[in-house]
Amino acid sequence: MPQQQMSEEQVNALQEKIKNMSPEELKEFQKKQCIFCQIVSGKVQSRKVYEDDKTIAVLDINPANPGHILLLPKEHYSIMPQMSEDEISHMFMVTKSLSNVLLRGIGAQGTNIIATNGVAAGQRAQHFMIHIIPRMDKDNLDFTLPQHTISEKELDEVSKKLSKSLGGIKESASEAPPKFTLPEKKVVDAEFKEKPTEKQSESKGKKPEKKKLKSAEKTKKKAEKKENRESVDLDDIARILGAK
Amino acid sequence: MVSKESCLLCQIIEGKIASKKIYEDDLVLAVLDVNGANPGHCFVMPKNHHPILEQIPDFEVSRLFQTANRISSAIFENLGVQGTNLFVTNGVPAGQTVAHFMIHIIPRKENDGINLEWAPKQLTEEEMSTVELKIKEQAKNIGDFKTGEEEKVIKQPPPAPSQSSEDDDYFSKQLERIP
Repeated sequence: MPQQQMSEEQVNALQEKIKNMSPEELKEFQKKQCIFCQIVSGKVQSRKVYEDDKTIAVLDINPANPGHILLLPKEHYSIMPQMSEDEISHMFMVTKSLSNVLLRGIGAQGTNIIATNGVAAGQRAQHFMIHIIPRMDKDNLDFTLPQHTISEKELDEVSKKLSKSLGGIKESASEAPPKFTLPEKKVVDAEFKEKPTEKQSESKGKKPEKKKLKSAEKTKKKAEKKENRESVDLDDIARILGAK
Repeated sequence: MVSKESCLLCQIIEGKIASKKIYEDDLVLAVLDVNGANPGHCFVMPKNHHPILEQIPDFEVSRLFQTANRISSAIFENLGVQGTNLFVTNGVPAGQTVAHFMIHIIPRKENDGINLEWAPKQLTEEEMSTVELKIKEQAKNIGDFKTGEEEKVIKQPPPAPSQSSEDDDYFSKQLERIP
């Protein structure tokens, strides 16, 4: 038998099937196909360096540098905009901690954090992940972004669109901060073989922020203590930052 | 803390340098990059001066990346792109050029000339195991995230340079050397 090739008819039938799936069915379908979901469930072996109830961190088997970490949500999401605010908050606090681990644990002099949403952005797997890459001087990596002079007209157009979509700009920061909620989620047109359609629909509103001055003193002390604990490594990084 | 006068982004935050703002609240500011990789390229920064990620309190980290995600969604919805990148440079070897933390949010299209990829390095099993163990050991301490409201009172006005502690002086001196 030659390699199993799907006929055009079969491909169409599959596409039709995918199109008619409910978001739940589609998610289940994607999950079954997803190697990273199998890493999460332990069906595929990995070098796990961190795990909690929502996330798992493994070493990249094709690392940009030794110590290159992939942080994955345990839940299957194709791209970041599908995640809830709480999940994003948690993911990136873990990211910060893992970045710190790389600075302290393996003597990295810096880190890059890269998230890719969509194939055009360099996404390879259909499971959202955050790359945390340790960096050293002269490590043969180059993530320099191209620079273009962007016309005033283009900048105005884009800023108008984006600021409107984001809920505008508070002129005075001293005013009561806006409630931090996600706008109604829409389907995002990232290019996938199977388009992600399901969305986390609920957006949990943040509690209004109030300043509690009475505990300020205590918290400040706590913060100072914390900074002392971190000072050695972070000073090193800041010094490197200042040295160039 | 570095004095606000010497930090480009602090001057943008204070409005001393003009910028194209797209979002602002009590903790963060997002502006378009005038020398961006493409027209929707923007960055979000903390209003408090923090050079690198590890120095930023959890609740600010949380707000920064939630904002970055909202911007990423807004880019998808409004700019007709096929993808977005979030990109952070932490420290000079990582490509950081300004001593104030920021997250780049970059709209992406096929063949747009942006390259955030890498050639994989070949590591032996032993090398992988060594690095795995070291990271695992340090990662044991991860947890106890401070996202609660009380944590927000950590936000203090930055001290005047003359009153800053030794640590702050150290930072200032070092960071002033950035060209």
